[in-house]
Amino acid sequence: MSEFDVIVIGAGPAGSSAAIKLAQGGMNVLLVERGDPPGTKNVSGAVLWGDELSRVVPDWERSAPIERFVTRKEVAFLTERSKIAISYSSQDLMEKKSGKIIVRGKFDQWLARKAKDAGAMLVTGITVDKLVMDDGKVIGVMQDGDVVTSDAVIVAEGANPRVLINSGLRPKLSDHDVALGIKETIKLPENVINERFNVDSKGGYASEFVLGFLEDGLLSGGFLYTNKDTVSLGIVASLDRLRANGMTHSYDIMGKFEEHPFIKNLIKDGIPDEYAAHLVPEGGLASMPELYGNGYLVAGDAAMFTFSNGMVLQGINYAITSGLLAAETILENKTKINKETLSSYVTKLRNSYVLSDLYTFNGIQNVTWSDFTQKTMPKILDSVMMSMFDERGMPKKHLMQVLTAAVKSNGMRYTDLISSGYRMMRKM
Amino acid sequence: MLNIVVMIKQVPDSSEVEIDPVKMTLNRTKARNVVNAADLNALEFALRIKDKVGANITVISMGPPMADAAIIECMARGADRGILITDRAFAGADTYPTGLTLAATIAKIGNVDIIFGGDETTDSSTGHVGPGVAEFLGIDQITYAKEVDYEDGYVIATRDLEDGDETVKVHTPVLITVLLNSNIPRHQSLRKKIDAIRKGVESWGINELGLKPDWVGLRGSPTIVRSMKAIKEPEHLHKTVPIDQIDTIIADLVSKNIIKVGGK
Ligand SMILES: Cc1cc2nc3c(=O)[nH]c(=O)nc-3n(C[C@H](O)[C@H](O)[C@H](O)COP(=O)(O)OP(=O)(O)OC[C@H]3O[C@@H](n4cnc5c(N)ncnc54)[C@H](O)[C@@H]3O)c2cc1C
Repeated sequence: MSEFDVIVIGAGPAGSSAAIKLAQGGMNVLLVERGDPPGTKNVSGAVLWGDELSRVVPDWERSAPIERFVTRKEVAFLTERSKIAISYSSQDLMEKKSGKIIVRGKFDQWLARKAKDAGAMLVTGITVDKLVMDDGKVIGVMQDGDVVTSDAVIVAEGANPRVLINSGLRPKLSDHDVALGIKETIKLPENVINERFNVDSKGGYASEFVLGFLEDGLLSGGFLYTNKDTVSLGIVASLDRLRANGMTHSYDIMGKFEEHPFIKNLIKDGIPDEYAAHLVPEGGLASMPELYGNGYLVAGDAAMFTFSNGMVLQGINYAITSGLLAAETILENKTKINKETLSSYVTKLRNSYVLSDLYTFNGIQNVTWSDFTQKTMPKILDSVMMSMFDERGMPKKHLMQVLTAAVKSNGMRYTDLISSGYRMMRKM
Repeated sequence: MLNIVVMIKQVPDSSEVEIDPVKMTLNRTKARNVVNAADLNALEFALRIKDKVGANITVISMGPPMADAAIIECMARGADRGILITDRAFAGADTYPTGLTLAATIAKIGNVDIIFGGDETTDSSTGHVGPGVAEFLGIDQITYAKEVDYEDGYVIATRDLEDGDETVKVHTPVLITVLLNSNIPRHQSLRKKIDAIRKGVESWGINELGLKPDWVGLRGSPTIVRSMKAIKEPEHLHKTVPIDQIDTIIADLVSKNIIKVGGK
């Protein structure tokens, strides 16, 4: 007999969602979290898209610590001196409550609490070392030399999957598997945020940036989300480019982003409150570990389930959904847990958006993390805009001519632009 | 077997506490609650004695119901039993009734050989409580301990005093207050934490301890806080000077009586 039916490693969105579902299904669950309280080790901004949580916590939006709802979504290219943005505001965004802006410290603690309320045993401040195998089957976890046994384990340890690596269940991460995220929280009075970002006190602004102004070779995106009385500002930078560059540190990129003329104004007089770094899975299918084995399942960032196309960065919703599906798989097979029965997890993931999206957008990294998207595009757009709006008393040209000139001045051929643009549209 | 009690307090993480510039009070809302750091050093010495000769370690804390998390954490590091002393009647206590309440708890536990506490807490820094408990119990005390050992009924401890170290040997029962950073506390273990959660923390109130409402809490506290003042930190002058000027600068500072050089 095992001590627990299921041990869940990590009380992030994936682990806590799984634990809630399992406990609701009457299982004896142990949820182990390194941070104390949960959320202290988590960094993201963050916008939670979607509503999957309502499957286990009805009406969750009412009790969850939500800072604001996204009412203004922006995607912007920044060059050294300009910003070219698509800004989408809609009252429907608020009505549909599509994007929830949350602060992970508070949110994760709330969600873990829900797991505890549902009957899971929550143990915080403890880092699991590895899985314990017996005769090819996972029989529990090891911590500080002790073994705690369970019939199944859900690994929801996030983007730095040490347990999987220590257990020999996935190779070490390479620079292609993950990007480096940095986030700073900056305090600003609520009314200043409302004014500066043109939102009311429930509405919120969320923006992703392409940092086209970085020196050659470096690639990084940026983001800015408004919380209630803080803003989250951060970057997600390509690790292999950082390493190849050798001279630049991630915090240099963060510094340049903060100092950018169009960002500086937005955070003026703000008081820095927190500064932290975290990995973001970026490798897609190629980086994915085995999603299940005899006695264990992998969910959330540990399974590399994230989506980013430059317009949104999503991982929390994938974490929640995969956590719920992992729990469902175990509940359906609780009398007979083995590699065969647990394989239905993958079927469930494929039938949901989690794996579908990863397949549909396979290879998108080659577009989002390309010099074309991050460097050339912003420059071309900038030239086009400038020639359209800089009135010099000259005869006007067709857009096509303007574009051709802009492409040429950036050292590209028109056909390159078309093929790159086409690839980009197809992949995104 | 030896009976050891470790007194602990749950405090807001001092690195996260801010001072409200208007009200002049500590803003603790954002800070995580942690075990007072020196108390963990005290617990570690208790655990080392347990490792050496075997002991039964009881962790006690006076505080609000949520302070049970701090006690569970100590049990996850190796303590055997946890008691939370909690009652509305204890609210607002200064160090005098706190010492009394803790002493009453220890008396009720009975047959205690060694009592440990942190030297002081990060949220009030009085250093009164440990000595107070020893006085209420009428036993010997060792303060400012930075090394602690136990042998055949004696505690041997090194005290960190202003003009040097002092090593003392005291027969039990004895109370020891331990200096911050005097050792490296061991980590919590998953096994022990699960067991601690299952075992739970006992909760004792004023009735269990046989204390009178007049003796404890705000009513039993002789301290009266008349006002609070924020102290402005003097501005520091940072200067980089060439290395060959250092002697001249020191001579200048000595002549102005700002610093003294050599001896006391
Ligand atoms: C800077 C940044 C910005 C982001 N912005 C967004 C956003 O706006 N929207 C969005 O949807 N996603 C965003 N993401 C991605 C999102 O944060 C992740 O996809 C999501 O947190 C994954 O959830 P998870 O539960 O799988 O992992 P995590 O949230 O990482 O949780 C894993 C938990 O496991 C714990 N843990 C790890 N190892 C152990 C161990 N050995 N023992 C015990 N506990 C352990 C950790 O402490 C952690 O609490 C962002 C990420 C970053 C870094």
